[in-house]
Amino acid sequence: MVASVEAVTGFTESRSLMDFWRRYRRNRLAVAGLFLVLALSLVALLAPLLAPYDPMSTSLDSLQPPGTSRHPLGTDDLGRDILSGVIWGTRVSLLVGVTAAATAVLIGIILGAVAGYYGGYTDAVIMRLTELFQTIPRFVLALVVVALFGRGLAKLVLVIGLLAWPQAARLVRGQFLSQKSLPYVDAARALGLPGWRIIFSEILPNVLAPVIVLASLDVAQAILLEASLGFFGLGDPNVVSWGGMLNHAQGYLRTAWWMSVFPGLGIALAVLGFNLVGDGLNDAINPRLHE
Amino acid sequence: MKTIRCITAALFLSVLLVASGAPAQQPGGTIIMALGADPETLNPGITTGYAVGAITANIFSGLIRLGPRGEVLPQLATAWQVAPDARTYTFTLRRGVRWHDGRPFSAADVKFSLEEIAGKFHGRFRIAYANVESVTTPNASTVVIRMKTPFAPFLKMLDTFNAPIMARHLFAGEDIARSPRNLQPVGTGPFVFQSWARGDRVVLVRNPNYWEPVYPDRLIFRIIPNAAQRSTALETGEVDVVTDFYLSKTDVPRLRQNKNLRLRFGQPIPALDFMFINTRRSPLASAKVRQALAFAINRDQIVLQAMAGIARPAKGPFGDGFKFAYTPETDYTRLYPYSPERALKLLEEAGVARGSLRLSMVFDAARAPLAAAAQIIRDNLRQVGITVDLVPLERSVMIDRVYVKADYDLTVQSFTSNTDPAIGYHRIYLTAPSGQPFVNATGYSNPEVDRLLALAAQTSVVEERAKIYAQVNAILARDLPTLILFDEVGVDAARAHLRNLWQGLDARDAWWLVWGAK
Amino acid sequence: MDGSLPLWRYILGRLLQAVPLLVGILVVNFLLIALAPGDPVTVLLGEYPAPPEYVARLRDEFGLDRPVYVRLGRYIANVLQGNLGFSFAYQVPVVRLVLERLGNTLLLMGTSMTLAALAGLLLGVVSARRPHSPLDSGAMALSLVGYSIPEFWLGQLLVLLFAVALGWLPAQGIRSTRQEYVGLAAALDVGRHLILPAMALSFRYIALIARITRAAMLEVMHQDFIVAARARGVDERRVLWRHGLRNAAIPVATVIGYNYAFILAGSALVETVFGWPGVGRLLFDAILQRDTPVLLGVLLLVSVTVVLVNLVTDVLYAYLDPRVRY
Repeated sequence: MVASVEAVTGFTESRSLMDFWRRYRRNRLAVAGLFLVLALSLVALLAPLLAPYDPMSTSLDSLQPPGTSRHPLGTDDLGRDILSGVIWGTRVSLLVGVTAAATAVLIGIILGAVAGYYGGYTDAVIMRLTELFQTIPRFVLALVVVALFGRGLAKLVLVIGLLAWPQAARLVRGQFLSQKSLPYVDAARALGLPGWRIIFSEILPNVLAPVIVLASLDVAQAILLEASLGFFGLGDPNVVSWGGMLNHAQGYLRTAWWMSVFPGLGIALAVLGFNLVGDGLNDAINPRLHE
Repeated sequence: MKTIRCITAALFLSVLLVASGAPAQQPGGTIIMALGADPETLNPGITTGYAVGAITANIFSGLIRLGPRGEVLPQLATAWQVAPDARTYTFTLRRGVRWHDGRPFSAADVKFSLEEIAGKFHGRFRIAYANVESVTTPNASTVVIRMKTPFAPFLKMLDTFNAPIMARHLFAGEDIARSPRNLQPVGTGPFVFQSWARGDRVVLVRNPNYWEPVYPDRLIFRIIPNAAQRSTALETGEVDVVTDFYLSKTDVPRLRQNKNLRLRFGQPIPALDFMFINTRRSPLASAKVRQALAFAINRDQIVLQAMAGIARPAKGPFGDGFKFAYTPETDYTRLYPYSPERALKLLEEAGVARGSLRLSMVFDAARAPLAAAAQIIRDNLRQVGITVDLVPLERSVMIDRVYVKADYDLTVQSFTSNTDPAIGYHRIYLTAPSGQPFVNATGYSNPEVDRLLALAAQTSVVEERAKIYAQVNAILARDLPTLILFDEVGVDAARAHLRNLWQGLDARDAWWLVWGAK
Repeated sequence: MDGSLPLWRYILGRLLQAVPLLVGILVVNFLLIALAPGDPVTVLLGEYPAPPEYVARLRDEFGLDRPVYVRLGRYIANVLQGNLGFSFAYQVPVVRLVLERLGNTLLLMGTSMTLAALAGLLLGVVSARRPHSPLDSGAMALSLVGYSIPEFWLGQLLVLLFAVALGWLPAQGIRSTRQEYVGLAAALDVGRHLILPAMALSFRYIALIARITRAAMLEVMHQDFIVAARARGVDERRVLWRHGLRNAAIPVATVIGYNYAFILAGSALVETVFGWPGVGRLLFDAILQRDTPVLLGVLLLVSVTVVLVNLVTDVLYAYLDPRVRY
C-alpha cells in the first residue's frame, strides 16, 4: 500500500524516520534550533527549581545592575529579580505559544479536512471564513479583543489560537484536495469506510508532515503575538511574562537597560528556535536541490 | 564713610549683575509645556480634566486666583466683601476688560457662567453651587452671591479651575456640551487660543489687551503620552516644563542631578493615595480583618519604590496635608506600624485561616504608581497568606467596576483635596450616592461620620475644625474602611532659564508672570 | 486550465469577492465592541461626579441606549455614507481623527518598506553571488535572527544605543519641539526622527526579502540561459542583475503586499516605542480611553486597507505572472 502510494505520488525519498532524521541533522542551523527549543523547554519545565527567587516577590534592592551574585541579571524598580523573571517568563511564553499553536492547528486540521474532502458548499463557506480571518489583521484584532473582554492566560491562548487557524486550514485543505483523488482513497471508499474514518485514519497521516512544519512556525508566531500583547500592557497581570517585562522596561530605559535587554533576548531566542526548527523540518521533508 | 561704602557696594553689585549677564526681565520667548494627553475639550466649565485646565487656565480667568501660599488674589474681581454670616459675597469687577473677540466683559457673563455652565456641569463647583441661593448683578460691574448655607471653601473655588468665567454672548442658548466654541475658546485671560494640532500641540499667543504685562510671547503645550519620554524631552530641552501630574516620580532622582533643571518639591494642593476596602464583602466586613491589612502593608516600601521616596507615608485618615485634619492620637505610624506578625494574629482572631483568603485588586492600568503600589501590596499580603489577583483595567472599565458595580475587594485610587478636605477628601468617607464615580466606594456608611464631616464643611474657624476632625479621625482610624497609603508630594520641573515660576497655588497657573523664556 | 483570463476579468472577479468580505469585517467589528463590558461615557467626565441628567443626555446623544440591531443598522448606513462616527473623547468625527494620523503611519511604513526592499535586495544579491561563503552564511544567519527579533524590543535597543548612550539620534516624536523648521530643514528634521523607527520596523523584512532574493537569484543562476551567457563571456554581473532581479521582483513585491497586515501591526508597536503620532498609537490610546467609535473606525480602516492591498498585490502578481489568474 505504502509503496504504491509512493509510486503514484512521486515521493522519491524513503519516508522512514531514520532517513528523515539524517537529513535534518545535516542542517546545522536546524540542529541549533532544536537544541534551543529543547533547552528552553527544559528551563520552562524546571522553572521552580532553577529560579533563585519568586519572580513577583519584591524587595528593597531596587534597580540593581547585573553582575552581582545575588542578582546576576539585576533587579527592577520594585526589587524583583530579573533572572527569575526571565526563567518563569519562559514557562509562560512556551505554554501560551505551544497551546495556542496546537489550538490553531487542531481547528485548522478539522476545518481544512472537512473543506478539502467534502468540497462544495461546505468548502466555500469555510474558505470565506478563512479569508475573513486572514484579512482582519491578527494583532489589531487580538488587541481589541483582549482590551475589551479582559486579560488572562486562558483568554490569551484562545484568542491567539482562534486567529491563527486559517493558515493551517488552507494548508490541510490543499493537501486534501490533492490527496482525495488518489487510488488509495477510492479503495478506502470502496471498502465502505465512513467519511470521517477516511479523513482521519487514511488521508490525514499522509499530510501531517507539512502541518507539523506549520505548527512549529505557528508557535514562533504565537510567542511573538503574546509578547506583543504583553508589551501593550494587555498580558496576564498575575504572571510574569517577557512581554510584560518589556512593557515595564519602557519607563526605565534610561535608568535600567537590563530590564529591557534580557527579557527581549528571551523572546528572540524562543522565536528563533522555533523558526529554525520549522525551517529545518521543511528542508528535511522537501529537500531542494542545493548547489 | 558708611555712605561711600554703601554706594561702592551698590555700584559693585550692579556691575556684577550686568557683567554676569543676568537676564533682563523682558517680555518674549516661548514656553513649552508637556501634557500627557490631548484635552477632551477646551471648555473648562464642563470638565475637570487636568490637561484641559492646564491649557485653559491661560485663556480663561476666574473672579479670583490663588497665590502660591493659597492667598486669594484679584483677577476678574478687583475687590470683594464677605458678610459676617458668610452668606453673602459681593464682588467688584475689573473695568475695561474685553473678551478675546473684542466684546466687552460684564457681570452678566459672571452670572451666566456660574448659573448655566460651571454650576450645572463642573464636577467640583456643582457641589459648592448647591449651596448657592442666588446670583444677582445690581450693575455691570458688581456681582452679589447669596448662599443658602455657609460653605467654608466657597471663595477659594471661584478661580479659573473651578468657576471659569465664559462669554455669555457665545454660549447663551447653545447646547454647551456640543458647542463648537469648545474647540475655539474665547476668554479674557492673558493668552489667546491660536491652534490645536491633535496629538501634537496646542498653541496660545499673548493677549495684547490683558490688564497686566504678559511676559511670554507664546505658550506651546506638547502632547507626549509616554511618561519616560516626557522626562527625556525635559532633559534635552525639547520641553521647558513638566508639572507634577505628568512627571514620573521614578525619573526624579535622575532629573535632580541635571543642572539645567530646577525642581520644586512640595504639595501646595494635598492629594492622597489610598486603598478602598469593599466592606460589603465577607471577611472584609470585619474591622479586625481591615486592621490586619493595615499592619500587613508596608507603606514605607510603597513610598520608596512606587514613588522613588517622593511621598509621605500616610499618617491618618486624612493624611497630614492639612494640619487641622491631622490628629496625633490617630497617627498611623503609631497605630498601624508595618508588622506582618500582628497582621497574622488579627487574622487568626478574626477566624481567617492562613492561606484561605483570596482577594481581587482592581486598579487603573494607565497609572504607573498605582500599578506599582498594587504589586507591592500583593507581595506584602502574600507574606501573611493572602492571595491577591491583580486586575488592571482601562479607566472607564475600572470606574464601572469599582463605583457602579462595586465588584472588587481592594482597589488603589487617588483623590486630590482640591485645596480643602471638604472638597476633595470628605467624599472618601461620606455615605455615597450609588453609582457615581469618585466617591466612597467601600459601602461604608456611618451617620455619625456624615454628621461630623458636614459640620466640618461649614465651620471656618480652624481650631474648631481641628476638634471636629479629631472626633472623626478617632472613628475612622478604628473602622478603617479605607487604608490611606501616602500623601503625595508634588514635584514640578522646569528648565533653569525660566524665572518667577510657580506664582500660583496650582502649578498650571500664573504663566503670564514667568519671564526668561527663550 | 492554465487560467488565461484577461486581466480585467480577473480584477472584476476579485472586486466582487471583496464585497462580502467588507460586510463581514463590519459585522465582526461591530459585534465585538457591542458585546464588550464597560461604559465609555464616564471617560468624558474627568475626575468628578457629574449631574445624572448630563450623563443621561450624553448617553442618549451617542445612542448607547438603543438595542444592538438598531445601532448596527445605523452604523452600516453611516459607513456607506462615509461617516465613521463621532469620537467620544476627542469630539471630532472619527474620519478626521484617523486621517490626521494616517499620513504619519504611511510615512513610517513607506520608508521602512523602501529601506527593507533596497537593503534586502542588496543583501540577497551579495549573498547569492558567492553561495556558502562566510559572507553568505553570515548574512543568512543574520537574517534568521532578524526575522525572530520582536520589533518593539529592537526599537528599545536602538533607543538605548543611539539615543541614550550615544546621543546621536532623537528618542521620540516626529519632529523637534523647540525649532519650527520650514521647507527642507523641516523635512530633514522629520527624517532624523524617522531613522530609528524605520530601522526597527524594517529589520525583519530586510531579513525576509534578503532570503527570498537570494533564493530567487540562485534559482536563476543555474538556468541554462545564464550558463550559456556566461559561456559567451557576457559580464556576469549584468547577467545577475538583469535576470536574477527580475525573478526576485515578483516574490519581493508580493511578500510586502501580503505581509501588509503584519507590517501594520509592527508599525503600531514601533509607534508606541517611539511616540510616533500615527494610526497605531491612535488605536492604543483609543483602547485606553474606551473610545468606541475610534476603535471601530481604526479596525475598519485597517481591515479595508488590507483588502485593498491584497487586491492590488493580487492584480500586480497576476499582471506579472499570467499563470495565477484563475
